Amino acid sequence: MLPLGPMLLLLLLTAAAADLSGTAAPPRRETALGFSPSVSASPSAPPLLLFPQPRAEYGAPGVALARSAAEEPAGPGEEEEGGQHHHHGGGYRVVQWEWSYVQTPYIIAIWLLVASVAKILFHFSQRFTTVVPESCMLILLGLVLGGVVLIANKKQLYQLEPALFFLFLLPTIVGDAGYFMPARLFFDNLGAILTYAVVGTLWNAFCTGFCLYAAKLLGVIDERVQADLMDFLLFGALISAVDPVAVLAVFEEVHVNDTLFIIVFGESLVNDAVTVVLYKVYISFVEVGAENVQTADYFKGVASFLIVSIGGTLVGLVFAVILGFITRFTKKVRIIEPLFVFLLVYLAYLTAELFSLSAILSMTFCGIGANKYVEANISQKSRTTVKYTMKTLASIAETIIFIFLGISAVDKSKWAWDTGLVSCTLVFIFVFRAVGVIGQTWVLNRFRLVPLDKIDQVVMSYGGLRGAVAFALVVLLDGEQVKAKDYFVATTIVVVFFTVMFQGLTIKPLVNWLKVPRSTSRKPTINEEIHERAFDHILTAVEDIAGLQGYHHWRDKWEQFDKNYLSKLLLRKSVYRKSELWEAYQKINIRDAISVIDQGGNVLTSARLSLPSMASRASFPEVTNVTNYLRENGSGVCLDLQVIDNVPGAKVEEDTETHHVLAENLYKPRRRYQSHYSRHFMPLGEKERQDREVFQRNMKSRMETFKSTRHKRHKKERSLKKRRGSDAKEDGGDKPRRNVSWQDTNPVVVPVESEEEKGEHSDPEKEEDVGITFVARKAETPKQRPKSVPAALDGCPSPTAGPPSPPSGDSHLPWKGSVGSPPPCVSVEATKIIPVDLQQAWNQSISSLESISSPPAPAEPVHPRVSALSRLGGPRPASYTPAGSVASSTSSIGAQVSQGSFRFPDKKKEEEEEEEEGGARQEMQPLMSSLRPTGSLPPPPPPPGSATGSGRRRNPCVYLRSLVTPPPPGSGELHSRGPTQL
Amino acid sequence: MGASQTRSGKYQDLADKTGFSLEQIQNLYKRFQQLSGNEETISKENLDSIPALANNPIRKQIVDAFFDKRNQHQGEVGSFEEIGFEQFLMVMSHFRPPTLKTTEEEKEALRKEKLRFLFNMHDTDNDGTITLEEYRKVVEELLSKSGAIGQEAAKAIADAAMLEVASTNVPHMAPDDFYEGITFEHFEQILKGLEMESRMNIRFLDVDTTTMRCGKTTS
Repeated sequence: MLPLGPMLLLLLLTAAAADLSGTAAPPRRETALGFSPSVSASPSAPPLLLFPQPRAEYGAPGVALARSAAEEPAGPGEEEEGGQHHHHGGGYRVVQWEWSYVQTPYIIAIWLLVASVAKILFHFSQRFTTVVPESCMLILLGLVLGGVVLIANKKQLYQLEPALFFLFLLPTIVGDAGYFMPARLFFDNLGAILTYAVVGTLWNAFCTGFCLYAAKLLGVIDERVQADLMDFLLFGALISAVDPVAVLAVFEEVHVNDTLFIIVFGESLVNDAVTVVLYKVYISFVEVGAENVQTADYFKGVASFLIVSIGGTLVGLVFAVILGFITRFTKKVRIIEPLFVFLLVYLAYLTAELFSLSAILSMTFCGIGANKYVEANISQKSRTTVKYTMKTLASIAETIIFIFLGISAVDKSKWAWDTGLVSCTLVFIFVFRAVGVIGQTWVLNRFRLVPLDKIDQVVMSYGGLRGAVAFALVVLLDGEQVKAKDYFVATTIVVVFFTVMFQGLTIKPLVNWLKVPRSTSRKPTINEEIHERAFDHILTAVEDIAGLQGYHHWRDKWEQFDKNYLSKLLLRKSVYRKSELWEAYQKINIRDAISVIDQGGNVLTSARLSLPSMASRASFPEVTNVTNYLRENGSGVCLDLQVIDNVPGAKVEEDTETHHVLAENLYKPRRRYQSHYSRHFMPLGEKERQDREVFQRNMKSRMETFKSTRHKRHKKERSLKKRRGSDAKEDGGDKPRRNVSWQDTNPVVVPVESEEEKGEHSDPEKEEDVGITFVARKAETPKQRPKSVPAALDGCPSPTAGPPSPPSGDSHLPWKGSVGSPPPCVSVEATKIIPVDLQQAWNQSISSLESISSPPAPAEPVHPRVSALSRLGGPRPASYTPAGSVASSTSSIGAQVSQGSFRFPDKKKEEEEEEEEGGARQEMQPLMSSLRPTGSLPPPPPPPGSATGSGRRRNPCVYLRSLVTPPPPGSGELHSRGPTQL
Repeated sequence: MGASQTRSGKYQDLADKTGFSLEQIQNLYKRFQQLSGNEETISKENLDSIPALANNPIRKQIVDAFFDKRNQHQGEVGSFEEIGFEQFLMVMSHFRPPTLKTTEEEKEALRKEKLRFLFNMHDTDNDGTITLEEYRKVVEELLSKSGAIGQEAAKAIADAAMLEVASTNVPHMAPDDFYEGITFEHFEQILKGLEMESRMNIRFLDVDTTTMRCGKTTS
């Protein structure tokens, strides 16, 4: 520890030096810091300029934070500058020194730059950052910079101004913390958090205050510190609150387990109410004088605490509701969606400040409350924007706070040192924190389901960091009223530095040494999500059965209320029906897709598909990825029409394979082209992303499953019969198999789907990010199917199911030869690069093309039905769906799609039954695709010799193959060819 | 007096067996009587008719779990028609929270027990594996009350989840392998990220009043 200090300083000095001389910016910064006063002094009013300069400077980050607010500091500055500008300007000058004009924003920008560069420098050394928390480094840097400024100016120009801190810097951090607060965790531990925040803070404040007073009486604290009991209580109040900024900064690097973190951090946020009230109460007491305080005032203090805390919370919740409600209607103005989030969360803070309620509580609860609805309402892009902006702002605000803390410390005029006071304070806050935590935990553990053990208590006591809030509060003190202000300031600075630097430095080794359970950054898997949910319901049920009205009971009640009223009010119609599990599932899916792509996606999919050997599989640990499976299966949607061009034979498989590799590898280029293409539609069309495409493919394959299972329900028996007819190897008793195997796939079904989709697509409510693209994608391929008749249908799914499987390839070939006219092929390919926005137009043109290219099929009732249904589904899908079953009004496309496809077969069924023999072939196609999610349990690549595996039961893939293989090729061919020829 | 003597003796047995405190058992017994209408046993209908359960999507599974012989740790399978207080208590004991004194081994045992309970709940046909079919059912039920998500979505989720189980547990699956279903070991494996011992608990009150109050609200 000891050698570290000087080392750090040295490094920082060099860093600062590098800053000053090395980069392009630093020299300018020197102008900003040291030079500026002299420059601005030269024009007209030195004191006048000196004064606003730091102020504007402090308002500075505000500009970045809240544009509107920034107008004020900038405004007057500009005018002033304008006047000065005229002063200078005698005659024409080629180059003009316009410092005064740009001064304010310039200094702001430079400060931000310094802070950011400082961050970069710190993260240069990996070893350093793992040992030393960033906050320490920033404070040290601040000290150095403060020294530089002091030396340059003989006067400290910059200081952490309370107004700047409370109005701009703090809200950014709290806003970020509140909005991204893990709400569930927070409320699960609410009892503990509230206890620590309220009881703990009060305990700390009183004990510290009284003990300091006692120390004063005992003479430990110097006589010069003119303070009586009230002053010490006041000081105790402001010094005893755990600081959210410091806690966040330190704990973020420590990664203790979630419960521990949320308790400490939650406490630091919630105790704001206590601090604010205590502070205000004592200030007023100090003002009137301790002897004039009446008993009623104490009660007023208590009442004020309730008002401040509950009022702050309510303000926050009101703004949360407003925010949720507003984002419900921002569909047309996606671009400003994030702005609403920032503004309203910030307004919640300001409003609470306005009524002198607890602003931190207000903002926190606004964030917590609104998060769920806002995230559901706004688009994916906006979500990302909100996230990054908040994180950026919070990060920079934090950096500035710590740097300024350091700088503020280097100001002799502001503080006065008293060793007794400083050391007493340090000891007291540490001791009382520990005692408080242990005492409260003892009580809490009698009520907590998961008791907090000793290690937790140690970390909690040790994690009680003080920070900038205390500093800002102490600076706010009125020196007239509180005589010992300077001493308090000095003590606060020392305390803050000590807790942030010493404890911040040592907490990590401590946590390691104590083996505190760490948090895992791992995202929950789908299974975990499912069971998390299951737990909730199980526990609620058991509580209900046991007749207890415990936490789960009330949580369940709340969820019911939320579902029945709040969500209806605050969520868009299109989203409010979706379950969280579904969301989680989608998120996981997308995440997996992204990771696939990050890993180079194409490398590990189809190539490996064709190499079913264990070795190659083992070399790709990513196989464990769900999406990989899905992707393997779901890939190559319709690309493989070309496969059919191959000469049937032994080479077919290889070619297929190659084609797949190519298709996969072509992925990226194609995407680029696509995005380029749709750049014209920038404002509305949000770019397709590759991961989304993968996701859609998954979804598509899933859709097929839905279809298949749907049918199953109604046609179980028939399907059985049919299957027996078509498949020799099949034995009927197997449930899962039956489930998957039934497929009713007349080409007609698909068109219905596509038309439906189209209808949906046009439905404004559906136009979400994911929804849009998804639908469009969905629509593309099926769209082709009806037109190119079974041809496309056959072509599409088969490669998907198992590209290298020769039987399927074989069976297509004849078909391809006969029907595969270029148009369908091309169109299928082409649709993929059509931007979503153009999809409909494209489809129309394609369909018109195809209607020409593909011969009319009189025998097939396909077209009439399609149109009939499309008419039905197209204009008003909503009205159509209710007719169906459960899923009717979902916004989930899946439901509607499947429904469409499901209702239709119902009527269709009868005739289908008649033609029977063709069923086998037809069944297979969707079956394959339908099997994919299920069937992908086993690594899908079906090896050429599929027959070997077919003996295994329940293997959908194998089963599938067995389906594909056994039927005499003739029948399949015949059938698939049939309609086209007709 | 004599009756209460024997009863408390019986309670002591139950307390040893289930780990509940005597007060907790007393409270639960009151609740039991309330549910059964002062009968010795309760039937599924009794539990089904609890109004608070009406909104629970997995009510059926939970109620079934109470009547599942596997949850009695007697090595029996099948299900009861009616259960007595002892069985009721046994099932309830799965949700006992650990205390500070609980040792690591005990925690592990507790965890296993809870997992087994969950597993039994999913494995409806008691063949030792949760098949895809069964898993789909679980997810479907879970989602059944949360909007019109629909069975398709549920299936998709179940499929993905199943896939995940398969991929995490059998990473090197031969191409022709088929994942039969989730065995208990795999089940344990996939849920090891969840802190079962700290999650699947409810707080049984020692104090009598809550039960009384509950009695009023529910009856």
